Amino acid sequence: MSTSPLDPRQQATVDVVQVAVQSRGYWATVLGRILYDKVTMICGLILLLIILSTVFADWITFTDPYKANMLKRLKPIGTPGYPLGGDEMGRDMLTRLLYGGRLSLFMGIAPVVLALGIGGLLGLTAGFLGGRINMLIMRIMDVFYAFPSVLLAVAISGALGAGIFNAIVSLTLVFIPPITRVTESVTTQIRNLDYIEAARASGAGTFAIIRVHVLSNVLGPVFIYATSLISVCIILASGLSFLGLGTEPPEPEWGLMLNTLRQSIYVNPEVATLPGLMIFITSLTFNLLSDGLRSAMDIRYVRGTS
Amino acid sequence: MLTYLIRRILYVIPICLGVTVLVFGLVHLAPGDPLSAVVPPDAPEEMVQELRVAYGFDKPLPIQYATWLGRVLTGDLGVSVARGREVTSELALAVPNTLILAVGGTLLGFTLGAFFGGVAGYFQGRWIDKLATGIAITGVSVPHYWLGLVLVIIFSVEMNVLPAIGMGPNGSSTWVWDTEHMKHLVLPIITLSVIPMGIITRTVRATVAEILNQEFVQALHAKGLLNHQVLMHVVTNAAPTTLAVMGIQLGYLLGGSILVETVFQWPGTGSLLNSAIFERDIPLLQGTILVLAMFFVFLNLLVDLVQSAIDPRMVR
Amino acid sequence: MMVNSVYKHLGRLPSVILGGVVAVAVIAGSMSNSGTARAEGTLRVGMTAADIPLSWGQPDQGFEGYRFMGLMLYDGLINWDLSSSNKPSGLIPGLAESWTVNPNDKTKWIFKLREGAKFHDGSEFDADAVLWNFDRLFDKTAPQYSARMASLVNFRIPSVSYNKDSNTKGWKKVDKYTVEFTTKSPDSFFPYQICYILMSSPAQFDNTGKDWNKFAQNPSGTGPWKLTKMVPRERAEFVPFKGHWDSSRQPKLDKLITIPIPDPNARTAALLSGQVDWIEAPSPDAIPKLKERGMVISSNLYPHVWSWHLSRVKGSPWNDIRIRKAANLAIDRAGVKALLGGYAIEAKGHVTPADPWYGKPSFQLRYDPAAAKKLLKEAGHGPNNPVKVKMMISASGSGQMLPLPMNEYIQQNLKEVGIDVEFEVMEWQSLLDRWRAGAKAEQANGAHGVNVSYTTQDPYSSFTRFLRCDLHAPSGVNWGYHCNKEIDGLLEKASLAFDPKERDIWIAKVHTMEVDQALFVWVVHDVAPRAMTTKVQGFIQARNWFQSLTPVSMK
Repeated sequence: MSTSPLDPRQQATVDVVQVAVQSRGYWATVLGRILYDKVTMICGLILLLIILSTVFADWITFTDPYKANMLKRLKPIGTPGYPLGGDEMGRDMLTRLLYGGRLSLFMGIAPVVLALGIGGLLGLTAGFLGGRINMLIMRIMDVFYAFPSVLLAVAISGALGAGIFNAIVSLTLVFIPPITRVTESVTTQIRNLDYIEAARASGAGTFAIIRVHVLSNVLGPVFIYATSLISVCIILASGLSFLGLGTEPPEPEWGLMLNTLRQSIYVNPEVATLPGLMIFITSLTFNLLSDGLRSAMDIRYVRGTS
Repeated sequence: MLTYLIRRILYVIPICLGVTVLVFGLVHLAPGDPLSAVVPPDAPEEMVQELRVAYGFDKPLPIQYATWLGRVLTGDLGVSVARGREVTSELALAVPNTLILAVGGTLLGFTLGAFFGGVAGYFQGRWIDKLATGIAITGVSVPHYWLGLVLVIIFSVEMNVLPAIGMGPNGSSTWVWDTEHMKHLVLPIITLSVIPMGIITRTVRATVAEILNQEFVQALHAKGLLNHQVLMHVVTNAAPTTLAVMGIQLGYLLGGSILVETVFQWPGTGSLLNSAIFERDIPLLQGTILVLAMFFVFLNLLVDLVQSAIDPRMVR
Repeated sequence: MMVNSVYKHLGRLPSVILGGVVAVAVIAGSMSNSGTARAEGTLRVGMTAADIPLSWGQPDQGFEGYRFMGLMLYDGLINWDLSSSNKPSGLIPGLAESWTVNPNDKTKWIFKLREGAKFHDGSEFDADAVLWNFDRLFDKTAPQYSARMASLVNFRIPSVSYNKDSNTKGWKKVDKYTVEFTTKSPDSFFPYQICYILMSSPAQFDNTGKDWNKFAQNPSGTGPWKLTKMVPRERAEFVPFKGHWDSSRQPKLDKLITIPIPDPNARTAALLSGQVDWIEAPSPDAIPKLKERGMVISSNLYPHVWSWHLSRVKGSPWNDIRIRKAANLAIDRAGVKALLGGYAIEAKGHVTPADPWYGKPSFQLRYDPAAAKKLLKEAGHGPNNPVKVKMMISASGSGQMLPLPMNEYIQQNLKEVGIDVEFEVMEWQSLLDRWRAGAKAEQANGAHGVNVSYTTQDPYSSFTRFLRCDLHAPSGVNWGYHCNKEIDGLLEKASLAFDPKERDIWIAKVHTMEVDQALFVWVVHDVAPRAMTTKVQGFIQARNWFQSLTPVSMK
């Protein structure tokens, strides 16, 4: 796999020959592999911890993430009452980081889920129907491919203006083309496999074929591909906020926090690095987890098809 | 082969047209008056209307698009609303600066990536492989704008040995090959190189590993015939893929330099894009996005052509 | 030899690698030596603007454009006195030696021009040049007419008479060195408006092919500085104009370079790493660090106010004077000042008590939460029934200081007495758009107020444009539709008082009423901190938005 923060779309073709069989035994094997994979297990735990602590931030923090205390601005790490220091508004960094994770994670996951829905549907349609429809869908995607993803995200967000909703729209649009392409490629490969031909020959309806065979075989690889995009999406979403094109103050969000604290690197440098560290850890664990899942499910990405 | 090449080249035309439609559509989605950013708050509406007519923003969108496309085809990207300067001359100043960053970042990333990837592939499964792949995954997971900030904190704020921002002394925005400019280049290039480094490490590792696992290479190994021939074999086989990946990476760095340029206040296309967005400077915005997208389209084309020239099997 | 053999082993691909290694080595090697030589007497200034202000005459980039471009290259007929730091800065003769209003017809002004003033290109300044420069802004049939320049400055000179249908102009040549201006109605504020109109060289316009964009590359004015180089977004370089008519304003520096650095953090970095010698508006948070590294902070009172404009549209809670007063009493201005690192003056009104326009307001702006609570109680509000208001604020912007922390702090203050404030945060530019659109416009989105900051340098821009009943949208920036006939009457009297002392008395009355009615929520006045190295000598920070760099030298 070779996704990166800046090119979710590179090498987005999946070799599906390996996953033709997806029986109960297959999933047991996958689970067994994951349980034996230390790195994946640790990453899963860290991620679970991050997600739980942001979701239950109300219970584990004692201060209001919005309540400013101007006389206690930019306190260093370890100040009593400010275990991770204070931000430019005198708000507790620990609290802000935990609450901030909600939006950062949401903005990292929601666009991928949305794109998975839309792009998956487009890809299935294109791959299964083939012909002109395939042509039409894939050529439109090609136009989107003409933009490096950061440029596309910045251009759309810049046009729509700052805001959480706009950022999600823009990131969804960034991720639809790669997911469509992967789905289309997998679907096309599966459609041409013998047993689909056999099913067709035996008189199964198109819908039944899609439901039973195509979906079950396409979902796995596409899902894995999508999980690998979450890491990219978190970085991009925070990047948009960092540029002032995503969330708006006073909302806690890691990218935006990094942006505002950037102004105080001469006063409080350590605190300024914390939100970025959170983005990094989260993105890293998502990446490693996605790698672990992929190798457990034994899906190989074909090289060299950029 | 030849038909493939011709088809591939011709296919660029509809893509480019699609790109112009998308760019124009995007930019005109922008809510708000395109002139509001350049007119003082007390300026009367009548004055604003006069400027609107002068810039042609009063015409229907399809007509504006057609006019714009016509001028783009003759190489005229219009005049920046805020600055009153030709968009092409603004880009002529900014593009080389971004190119320096992108090429520098790609080269450094490629050097490190080829090294790490080669070593990792060669010593598959050993600790050194794990270390190299660990570095690679870190490279692709790190938010590089944050890494840039961390580097600034370490080398500029704390140690005060490298400049934090800009491209050269006196706010220079024209590249000169001297020590001062070089010093300004160090941190941005390191920052930009981590992503290509990670990706190229992974690509090279996978390629090298696969080649080394091929039966005849194993046989060469067994015969004790190693190093030179095997190395040659590995390099020639890994080259097309790696070069292709590198070419695409260069495109991504060119188009995606806005984050790093913001951190380091680098006077390139990213900064231009940034100010165009926040000043709602429509001609500058659409010109910059268009040129960056075109770079990417043609880089992709070039990579495909070169790749199919090196390795005809790649032709699909 | 070695390189050759390595090359053979590695094949063709790694030449790229070698290239990379070489590049890295070159970079690494370059780190060992540092520092570049630079001419003595060169000052490098980091501005807050994102680009070099327009250099063709009327600058953009607001007052910073005037400070670092307009008033350097050009003179107005009337200039600001920037020579002193300890008295309010007033108007002094510029390219006009004197100006008087016709006692029989107070719409007519006679300006006696300075003889012998020269443009940078050597051509002479005279009455024709004045007419030419006014035509540039109004007369669409004139070849030098520029809609962009007009949009930048015409709103600052609302009084001058001009009929666009008949092209009848309110400026006319009496003789080679005398010009007569006509105003729409008698207006004693006219000289304050004239000082914004800068005189470009008609001869140079012809020399540059009658193209303002080319003129901007090679501008010519009568100012004390000449532009020698301009690289967009990068820097502008100036040298002294030896032929300037006022020898006391002959620049001491050999060269001045202005560099746009919009990001405050980047300005700090640039000053600390020695890339500039002077920065405008350092972030208050960075000031201790700057001092620690031996930088000098210059600051002074100047006519600026940071306030909340209140909506008086039907349904706005601010229609109740008790709530307006309560808000003014609930703000801990000392806390806001501390937030700004001490670089601010607590507001006692729209202008400071040191200003001749302050007057004698009886309502004291002080921090008194108890009194605020009492007023709110009288108005029928209490802890269970707080006043709810929505304010539009910006995340950053010219003269906005630290808008987010300051507004959040005020929000906290107001909450304690029972005023719940909700913010709509937006870009400075869109805030200005909505400010222009007025409180009744759809864009106001139901907001009850807007946080803005601006100059109080002249009577029109500090009072009239916000207070006069008829200056609401789209005619002016009376955003909140304030209307008080008594204030209108006082403003009228002030504009008819041609004796400056008498005029100041009327304006002081306006200000007294304004404060007593608590028409705005006033917070602080900026003191324009600037940071510079100890090498910078001789700077006199005038009590003005504009500053003169002519007395500055480098040690």
